Amino acid sequence: MTELAVDIIKRGGRRPSERYSHDKLHASIVAACLSVNTPAGLAEEIADAVCESVAQWLTVRPEVTSDDLRRVAARHLTAHHPDAAYLYEQHRIII
Amino acid sequence: MDTISSLAVIALAALVHASFQLSVSVLTLLSGHALGAQKARMRVWRMTTSFVIGAGVITLLLLSFIALLFNSLYGSSAPSSVWAIACGLLVGVGIAIWLFYYRHQSGTSLWIPRSMAHYLSDRTKATKDSAESFGLGLSSVFGEILFVGAPLIVSGLVLVQLSPGLQIVGLLLYTLISMLGLITVWVLVGSGHSLSTIQKWRETNKSFLQFAGGGGLIILSFFVYVSQILGGLGS
Repeated sequence: MTELAVDIIKRGGRRPSERYSHDKLHASIVAACLSVNTPAGLAEEIADAVCESVAQWLTVRPEVTSDDLRRVAARHLTAHHPDAAYLYEQHRIII
Repeated sequence: MDTISSLAVIALAALVHASFQLSVSVLTLLSGHALGAQKARMRVWRMTTSFVIGAGVITLLLLSFIALLFNSLYGSSAPSSVWAIACGLLVGVGIAIWLFYYRHQSGTSLWIPRSMAHYLSDRTKATKDSAESFGLGLSSVFGEILFVGAPLIVSGLVLVQLSPGLQIVGLLLYTLISMLGLITVWVLVGSGHSLSTIQKWRETNKSFLQFAGGGGLIILSFFVYVSQILGGLGS
């Protein structure tokens, strides 16, 4: 898959922005699915679908914040796996 | 204070300790990372078990240290002024828990220093084996020392009044009860329950846990004040 030329502005603005990584988003979605006991194959399929939706959202945006990216990914993940989406959203606010 | 009352105070203090959530949060996060990284079930179980043992060991050591300190300073009977300070601490921490324990946002973020929260979060992500999990269990109890300090101090003061045999019973009783929440999550994760169900329950009931934790400390302070300070004036 071709990487999109989108800059991701990190949370809080203290760390430098970085280029959008399809693999990084994909891995985080897969991890969220696996952590709620989803079979590995299904987790990959869901991650593919979510990444595709997020990529469409990103095509008209030169830069987005990491919080926005996470929110949009969680919204699309909710349609496929609400439990995984809940944990994906909670990840940063558990502790 | 008679033996039954002493053990009851230790049990109530431990129950309040059990309502504190930092170790449970870290265990939830640790399980999530381990499952998300496709680690084998047995390995996840070993890591979570090591975490629980680490938290238990440090709780036992902290209470033993506090009891030893009081025993060295005051022998088996601490002066009323020390009991009064301990009661004040219980009320202060109880009110602080009502006001500040959880951050006012969704999720279960706690009012602990953000640097400590980030450290625990980063360490949780980097934890790969049982030894690191054990260390993480130790750190998670230290991370909440501002809150768990009060019940530990009162339990230490009560422990030194007991006979050596009962002191060991009291130590084990405190450690076991204080870990009930952690053990519950450990069993649920080990038996294959979804982490999202556990986290949803925690988020839904966080206000109750906050109220119960703070209220428990204030009730404990009243009981200790009446039995140790007012009771001591009459004798």
